[in-house]
Amino acid sequence: MKGMGKHNLLPGLCLGIAVGLGVAAAMLGERLSSPVSGLCFGLAGVLGGLSGSRLIMAHFDRTWTPEERKEIERAEHDERNMVIREKAAYASWYWSLYLLWGLWLLTLVTSGGMYVAFASVAIVLHCVFLMVNVNRWSKKL
Amino acid sequence: MTNRISELRKDLRLSQAELADAVDVTRQTIISLESGRYNASLLLAHKIAKFFGLTIEEVFLFEEDAP
Repeated sequence: MKGMGKHNLLPGLCLGIAVGLGVAAAMLGERLSSPVSGLCFGLAGVLGGLSGSRLIMAHFDRTWTPEERKEIERAEHDERNMVIREKAAYASWYWSLYLLWGLWLLTLVTSGGMYVAFASVAIVLHCVFLMVNVNRWSKKL
Repeated sequence: MTNRISELRKDLRLSQAELADAVDVTRQTIISLESGRYNASLLLAHKIAKFFGLTIEEVFLFEEDAP
């Protein structure tokens, strides 16, 4: 705990909760209903992934030299990198749209009902978010 | 659009990293600019031209559309 700064307290706590949730769900096994078990494992996965990656980044952050830190900061604000990130984000938007359409088709063929509605809502929200942001940025620029 | 960044940099005996440091971008950006894969923003073009003590038109060559 000596090397653990104040900034790592929250991620550390989240990682602990994630491990606790995962272990509890695994130990309780079939005594938990399927949705509750899924929720526990899902939450443990998300919390564990986020907090774990935060702790790993914090570890590397401590080992960087001032020159490396400066280079990383420069790479963060470099205009070519920003253009790359914007283009990648826009391409990813299309990829996730195709994925959602694929899921929608899959739910239509296999289960139907509520899952088709969920997939449809996700597709609509996905497109609405883009339109909202386009509108927001067209006002700013 | 082409540019004379590589030529001007070599005239001053500068490395790509040194030029990158001077105009506050990464070395990869300088490599991409020199190879013509990436076109600089107006702000970066201004910074680069100012660094070489030239105008933007003298560093970045805008090709006229063929008639």
